[in-house]
Amino acid sequence: MNEQRNNYFKRLNDIFVDVFDDESIKLEDGTSAEDIEEWDSLMHISLMVATEKEFNLKLNAMEVSQLQNVGQMVDLLLKKTGIN
Amino acid sequence: MFDLKSEVKKLVHAGQKDLAAQLILRNLNPEEDFTSHLTKWNLLKRNPPEAKLQKVKLAIVSTSTANHLVDFLKMYFYRAGFEAEIFLTEFRTVEQSVLNATSSLYEFNPDILWLDNNFQDLQFPSNDEKAAIRLGDNLSRWSALWESIQKNSSAYIIQNNIAAPFTRSFGSLDSIESQGRLNFVRSFNQLLASKAIKGVTLFDMEYLSSLVGKKHWFAERYWYHSKHAFNLEYVGIVSSQLVQLVTAIKGKSKKCLVLDLDNTLWGGVIGDDGVQGIKLGNGAHGEAFVDFQRYILELKNRGVILAVCSKNDEANAQSPFLTHPDMQIKLEDISCFVANWNNKADNIRHIAATLDIGLDSFVFVDDNPVERNIVRTMLPEVAVPEMTEDPADYIRILEFQNYFDMISFSDEDRDRSSMYRSNVERKELSQKFTDISDFLIDLNMKSTVGNLDNFYLQRITQLINKSNQFNLTTKRYTEAEMLKVMEDNQYQCRYYKLVDKFGDNGLISVVILKDSGECGLEIDTWVMSCRVLSRGMEDFVLDDLVAVAKARKAKKLIGHYIPTAKNKLVEKHYSQLGFKLFNEDQGTTQWQLELDTLTESKNKFILRESAT
Repeated sequence: MNEQRNNYFKRLNDIFVDVFDDESIKLEDGTSAEDIEEWDSLMHISLMVATEKEFNLKLNAMEVSQLQNVGQMVDLLLKKTGIN
Repeated sequence: MFDLKSEVKKLVHAGQKDLAAQLILRNLNPEEDFTSHLTKWNLLKRNPPEAKLQKVKLAIVSTSTANHLVDFLKMYFYRAGFEAEIFLTEFRTVEQSVLNATSSLYEFNPDILWLDNNFQDLQFPSNDEKAAIRLGDNLSRWSALWESIQKNSSAYIIQNNIAAPFTRSFGSLDSIESQGRLNFVRSFNQLLASKAIKGVTLFDMEYLSSLVGKKHWFAERYWYHSKHAFNLEYVGIVSSQLVQLVTAIKGKSKKCLVLDLDNTLWGGVIGDDGVQGIKLGNGAHGEAFVDFQRYILELKNRGVILAVCSKNDEANAQSPFLTHPDMQIKLEDISCFVANWNNKADNIRHIAATLDIGLDSFVFVDDNPVERNIVRTMLPEVAVPEMTEDPADYIRILEFQNYFDMISFSDEDRDRSSMYRSNVERKELSQKFTDISDFLIDLNMKSTVGNLDNFYLQRITQLINKSNQFNLTTKRYTEAEMLKVMEDNQYQCRYYKLVDKFGDNGLISVVILKDSGECGLEIDTWVMSCRVLSRGMEDFVLDDLVAVAKARKAKKLIGHYIPTAKNKLVEKHYSQLGFKLFNEDQGTTQWQLELDTLTESKNKFILRESAT
């Protein structure tokens, strides 16, 4: 379980690095839009599209709007892929 | 595997930023998804093209969220040779921006203004309303905007038509019933097209949505979440098509289609297979080539200039045009016909000079990846679509690129082709060769050499009997005869395989050598596949023959050229390799090369992989 979570975390980190074009990004559970300067509503959409592609799933607006931070995002992905 | 990121990094490291930008742009593919486009944009924004490009100022006035298009549009504008400045009006301020003469939109002073709407903007008729009245109301919203824009600026207007939604509450009746949504959207699009005034051109979003497939085109969750009118995965298609339309408005669409012949307009090799042997008309391939030719004629009939650029003898190349019953394109459809053995980049330069149109107006279609890359490398202005090996794909490859987009059609367009043709004075093809050494080095060619063995017996026999053009003596051998050659010490048969960075060309050349007394070694047979012509393979083979001859204690190599209807190509083969003529009889020429006069090897480009 923890291993899966770490794996998802790493994949999500790679997505952030690509989308923000910033190699220095290191996500933590508590990372939120407050912590990354360029994380505006447009970037948010790009993140969603890239995440949907990487994890081969569809995110709905409701789910996404309730997320507070990256940790919750990982938990949502684990849940949607049937791991938790 | 090709990794764009690391290739770009290498070029940037080497200080070749502009080449890096060109590499990214060449690898753009409108059909790729959002994330792939984003990756390329992130690379490009750090290494934008350095060349001075024509400026274009585009304003996007959209009723949906169009922000994500901005970067990708810039990228496709770069590819089309424009540096774009793009202005986006604030979300949902269409009327506020357009009707106010002092708005920031007009301050920006666009030369192109795109009105981007979608079906959510339409007022559909309610049950007791006449559809016709509603159609008029909807149209007037947009026509009023056109008038206002034309009053307040000199911008050229691009207006979407409406991508019809997939919902059909009337079911099959939806496209018939006047209250049906599908019927209504289609009627609106017709009306919009018929009422578009001068200075307004339509962007056919309905076509693009059908091309993608409406199931995929519409992503409702993105509409609800962030008011995106279509699925972001199709940003590439929308951006590239919009840029094509702007290119047409700017008068920069492609004008001339340059066509290869063998395996492009027909299947097979005319020089080897003859008019009756090429695939055209019958069979799956033959039908696909006929349809491709018809498609090309449609392009020609609406103003695209056609040219031919083929590695062939001219008489061979023209024979299907003159005598094949299924040939759709006729010689008079071709404004400039070039068939020779020079490199194609030089030939396209010649065509451009002859027709007097710029190289950036050319599209070059060739089934051969090596030819495509010679042209891409040496003439980066020429558009060279990546072809597949299946002629059934050819039409769609050209169609989806939409190279020849246009915004008006006149009698002049219809007659352009004949106009150019009559203007052409057949200038002598200039013999100025561009140095292609760099290209040949880059091809990374490796050749495997060996003596005839049982493993390759069949392929070698086939190549000897099939080759007509690059064939010095046109002697034919059966497999049984070849077995004798293999066993007889007087003979030695060499084969050559060639691999390059684009793939394996297979076994492409065969030479049969025979002792001829007086310390001579005679080249009884020398054949080669025309696909690998002019790539230094002849020099490579000669070096090998010299080595074999020396090993056999021979003092000279003797070659013959026996002319046939098809092998004019190699008439000067031995003289080009440095042989001396010593006999001539009714066209047959005999040549010799004294081995002790040779000091260095001729091959410069091909690595010898292994030898037996």
